[in-house]
Amino acid sequence: MSAPVLELRSLSKSFGPVHAVKTVSLAAHAGEVIGLIGDNGAGKSTLTRMIAGAIRPDQGDIIVNGRKEHFETAQDARRAGIETVFQTLALVPGLDIVENIFLGRELLLPGATGRATRTMDVAAMRQRVEEGYQRFGLNLPDMRTKVAALSGGQRQVVAIARAVLWGSGVVVLDEPTAALGVKQTELVLSFIERLRSHKVAVIFISHNMQHVMRVADRVCVLRLGRKVHDGPMSKLSGTDLVALMTGAATAAQ
Amino acid sequence: MTRQQILGWTQRNGLFFALAILIAIFSILSSRFLTVPNFTVILLQNAVIGLIVVPGAMLILCGLVDLSVGSVAVLSAVVFGQAMASGLGLPVSLLIGLAVGAAWGAFNGYLIAIQGFSPIIITLGGLAGARGLAEFVTQGYTTYGYGREFAFLGNGKLLGVPVPIILFAIVFLIGLHLWYRAPLGRHMIAVGGAKDTAAEIGIKVKLIPFWLYVASGLAAALGGLIIASQLDGAAVTIGTGMELEVLTAILLGGVSFTGGRGSLFGVLFGLLFVGVLSNGLVQVNVSPYFEQVAIGAALCGAAALDMLYQRLERLNVPVENEPIEAPQAGEAR
Ligand SMILES: Nc1ncnc2c1ncn2[C@@H]1O[C@H](COP(=O)(O)OP(=O)(O)O)[C@@H](O)[C@H]1O
Ligand SMILES: [Mg+2]
Repeated sequence: MSAPVLELRSLSKSFGPVHAVKTVSLAAHAGEVIGLIGDNGAGKSTLTRMIAGAIRPDQGDIIVNGRKEHFETAQDARRAGIETVFQTLALVPGLDIVENIFLGRELLLPGATGRATRTMDVAAMRQRVEEGYQRFGLNLPDMRTKVAALSGGQRQVVAIARAVLWGSGVVVLDEPTAALGVKQTELVLSFIERLRSHKVAVIFISHNMQHVMRVADRVCVLRLGRKVHDGPMSKLSGTDLVALMTGAATAAQ
Repeated sequence: MTRQQILGWTQRNGLFFALAILIAIFSILSSRFLTVPNFTVILLQNAVIGLIVVPGAMLILCGLVDLSVGSVAVLSAVVFGQAMASGLGLPVSLLIGLAVGAAWGAFNGYLIAIQGFSPIIITLGGLAGARGLAEFVTQGYTTYGYGREFAFLGNGKLLGVPVPIILFAIVFLIGLHLWYRAPLGRHMIAVGGAKDTAAEIGIKVKLIPFWLYVASGLAAALGGLIIASQLDGAAVTIGTGMELEVLTAILLGGVSFTGGRGSLFGVLFGLLFVGVLSNGLVQVNVSPYFEQVAIGAALCGAAALDMLYQRLERLNVPVENEPIEAPQAGEAR
C-alpha cells in the first residue's frame, strides 16, 4: 500500500486525571474511509480535536504526508491539508453556499491591483463551486441559496463539500449524521461514499453502527481512550462492533 | 418568477420605490422640489450624516453600534479650534482634529472589540463624556474665524459640486467596494450573524470591529470639521442628535439591528428618504414638527415590513420535510 496521508503515532491526551486518549496510533490512506467508533466518552472527539489543531497532544506525533506537524491552531491543520467538520458545521446562515465555502479564504483578482484593493474574483469562486457540484454530483440547491434556507443534511453536505473542495487530503467528520433524520442521513452518507473515488482519506466518526458499516472500508474502535480494534470492515458484523465498543469482546490490534 | 424571487426583489427594492413615490408626490405638490439646486441642497444637508453612516452601518452589520459620533464630532471640532487659536496653523490643526476622532474610535474599539465591553454602554459613555470634554476644552469660549482655506472644506465647490458632497461620495464609494467587492463584506456578515463560527474559521472577529470603530471616529471628526467650516466656528452645539440621525438612516435602510444582515444601498436610500422627506415637507409648508412624526412613522413601517419579510421568508424555506428519526436496530446506546 502507498504511504499514508495521515499518520498518528501513539497520541495521548489527558484532562487532569482523565486519560481521554491513550497511545492511539492510526494511519489513513487516500481513497479510504475509516470508521472511528466508540461509546460516549471513548475519546473520539478528543482525538479529532488533536488532529484538527484545536488542542495539543500531551504525547505522540501527527505526521501528514510524511512530515511531522505541530499544530498550534486550526488554521495550521487546514494549511497542512486536514479539514475537520465538527458538529457545529461552522457555516454562516446569512451567507450563501459559495460565500460559505470561500469564507475566510476568498479568491482575489489576479495581479497587483486585485491584491492591493482586495477585490474578490467572484466569478472564479462561483466557477470553482460549479465544478465541485459536477465533480461530486452534489445534490444541493442553487449555489446562491442562503445556508439559512438549507435543511440539516444539506448543510452537512455543504460543510463536507467545503472541506473536500479545499483540496485537502484528509477530511475528518465528527458525527455528521448524529442530528439528522433518515432522508437527510441518506444525503450525507451517499456523499461520503462518493468521496472514496476522489482520493480523499475520510475519517468518519460515529456511534451509529449501521452508518459506519455502510460507508467505512476500515473500522477503528476506541474504548476508554484506547484503540481496541483496527481492521477491514468486511470481516465484522454489527454484533462484533458492539461487543468491541462495550468491552464484551477484545480483538487483537 | 417564483414567490420567493418576488419577495426578494421587493425586499431589496422596496425602499427605492418608497423613495421614488415620495419624490413623485413632492414634485406634484411643489414646482421647486424636483430641481437640481434643490437636490444639491438635500445632498449637502445630508452629506455629513452620510459619511458617518458608512462606517456606522458596517458596525451595525457586525452587531455593534457607535452612539458617540455626535460628541466625537464636536470634540474634534473644538480641539481643532483651540489648535488654530494657539497658532498651530491649518494643516497641523486639521490633523489634530482628525486624530482626536481616530483616538476616540480606537478607545471605543479597544474596550468593545478587544475587551468585550458592551457597545451601548461604552459609546453612551462617549456620548456624554466627549461632549463634556468638548465643553471643558472651550471653557465657554467659542473660537471662530479660521480663514478662507478652511472655509473651502464646508462651503467650497469642485467642478460645481460642493466639497462635502464630494467627500461623502468618496466615502460611500469606498464603503460600497468594501461591502460588496472585498472579503470584508462577508466577514462582517459572519461577525454579526455567527460570531463563534467566524472566529473558528479564522476571521478577525476582534480586529474588524476595532478598525470600524476607528473609521467611525475618523468619519465623525471629519463631519465635525465640515460643520465647523460651514459655521466658521467650533460651536459646542455641533453634532447634537447626530447619533440618532445616523441610526435612523441605517435602520430605515434595512440593516438588522442585531447584525448579520443589510445592504449599503439600502442605507443610502434610507438616508435619502429622510433627506427628501424633511426637505419636501418644508417645500409644501407642512409644520416642521410634523417632520419628526413622519420619520418616526417611516421607521416603524420599515420595522414592520422587515418582520413581515422575515416571516414570509421562513414560510418559503425550500426544506424537505425531515422525518423524525426512528430508533434504528443495532444502534449503539
Ligand atoms: N475539555 C475537557 N476537559 C475535561 N475532560 C474532557 C474534556 N474533553 C473531553 N474530556 C473527557 O475525556 C473523555 C473523552 O471524551 P470525548 O473525546 O468527548 O469522547 P467521545 O467523543 O468519544 O464521546 C471523557 O471522559 C470526557 O469527559
Ligand atoms: Mg464526541
